[in-house]
Amino acid sequence: MSVALNYVPVLLTHPGRTGPVSLDEYCSEGGYAGWRKALTAMTPEQVIEEVKASGLRGRGGAGFPAGMKWSFIPKAPGAKYVAVNADESEPGTFKDRELIEVEPHRVLEGVALCCYAIGAETAFVYIRGEYVEPADRLEAAIAEAEAANVLGAGCLGTAVNVKIHVFRGAGAYICGEETALLESLEGRRPMPRSRPPFPAVEGLYRRPTVINNVETLANVPGIIDRGSAWYNTIGTPPRNTGPKIFCLSGRVNRPGNYELPLGAATVRELIDDYGQGVIGGKAVKGVLTAGVSAPILTADKLDTRLDYDSVQAAGSMLGSASLIVLDEATCIVRAAALMEDFFRHESCGKCTPCREGTSWLFKILQRIEQGHGRPADLDLLVSLSGEISGKVLCALGDFATSPVVATVKQYREEYEQHISEHGCPFEPW
Amino acid sequence: MTEASAGRLSESTRAEISRLAAMYPERRTALLPALKLAQADVGFLPPEAIAEAADVVGVPHSAALELVSFYTMLFSEPGPARRLIVCAQLPCALRGAEGLIRDLRAGLRQQIEAGAVEVERTSECFGACHKAPMARLGDEYRERLDDAARRRLIDELGG
Repeated sequence: MSVALNYVPVLLTHPGRTGPVSLDEYCSEGGYAGWRKALTAMTPEQVIEEVKASGLRGRGGAGFPAGMKWSFIPKAPGAKYVAVNADESEPGTFKDRELIEVEPHRVLEGVALCCYAIGAETAFVYIRGEYVEPADRLEAAIAEAEAANVLGAGCLGTAVNVKIHVFRGAGAYICGEETALLESLEGRRPMPRSRPPFPAVEGLYRRPTVINNVETLANVPGIIDRGSAWYNTIGTPPRNTGPKIFCLSGRVNRPGNYELPLGAATVRELIDDYGQGVIGGKAVKGVLTAGVSAPILTADKLDTRLDYDSVQAAGSMLGSASLIVLDEATCIVRAAALMEDFFRHESCGKCTPCREGTSWLFKILQRIEQGHGRPADLDLLVSLSGEISGKVLCALGDFATSPVVATVKQYREEYEQHISEHGCPFEPW
Repeated sequence: MTEASAGRLSESTRAEISRLAAMYPERRTALLPALKLAQADVGFLPPEAIAEAADVVGVPHSAALELVSFYTMLFSEPGPARRLIVCAQLPCALRGAEGLIRDLRAGLRQQIEAGAVEVERTSECFGACHKAPMARLGDEYRERLDDAARRRLIDELGG
């Protein structure tokens, strides 16, 4: 049994709840104490230093240190912006949805603290268009906080102004890419920008901008209220501090969001202790740890600890910590084809290698699955992936090749069986 | 015929677009919200509605058109009365999404043939993998669609 079972959540503090925590309830549980403390007793620089000292790394996927990102914002006068990435669209990821649905004020407090730290008066929460109910709840929470003078003009009686807008997307995975998100906010086709300049210098409206994931910002109120020393008692310092919400889905008995300290549990413990094991007691074939955007971990890697560095050492990425469990009855070729169908659909079309390559990868995978594969297809999949990865403007192209290259490498005999037997050896699912 | 049914925006929609355009730091930020408002008003986005939304925001019509042709939630053609979109991406597929699509298409065959209902399969993920299989009915999430729940959904849609 995982030692993490004794852990008391600090982000999703109301397990099992579906309705939103109101402003009064949030405040009665210590909410907005960090906001009040920052406004009355801390300079913006002190807020940034505290977040730096916490070791908080971005929870959206890249794991970049949040405090360092904030410190890149120039101190010169002029408009600055905060853009919150709530465009949660990675397959297997549903943590930001629950944070917004149940803990909207924790998210808003984090947004406000980020605004204060970098000197921004305006923030946009970019939420995917399909999340209608979460967006409605967030807007209601903003209205509550503004009516109580917690947010808005002259927050808590100070001279600090924070206006948070909820901006709803319209169905495009690429908007989760930070510069595409900015393009979307500016009313343009959401296609990634080339960098440099980076958003900290030229972001929204060509002004300095911090872009953080919802979960990243939801960590900040606790860091400011209780201090970075407290935060460092959670997780495995110095590089994997704090809590993480693990999204568990696929062939497990109890899928869901599980908040645990980084590094406290292994993949196996998450599946067995929290997910209550694989459906039907079947064996695990592999686990995707970063949605469909990183290499699959094979069954011999189940004792990998769930933190950024351990998962990377095992050959994959923690990413958004979206674990999709594939059991022994799962056809790996079909799984890869499904994942590639996603990237083919979501490629924005700006870069030719990604636009054309993802479609070709999908077609080759599909023909192998349908029994029309050729022996040369496996090498073709790998070489074609090499023509996409690293040759495009954003990470989508790299992500799109991961499911292909890793599964061809790790489960090559299964691909070869499809080709030699002219069909899929698995039961349909 | 109302103004909206002719592809023109209602006064209240125009007013709301104007309000948003004035509220944001730059007016063009209101373009995507404007198109969503226009679609909610008219039912879809015919050329007249796209042009009018662009005019109120103050951008070229082509700027609006390139958003309409990009985003999957914007429709330039009229759709069925009820659009049911089933997620068939990996986490949902691992929990029976294809069976769900088959059951919905069989149970709603008459409604689909009459053009009243559409059952669409998508490779997009809707962030409901822990409640799979699932579908979106308009703006609503219908989750944990086991046998009983999908039967109720079919009944609800007249099947």
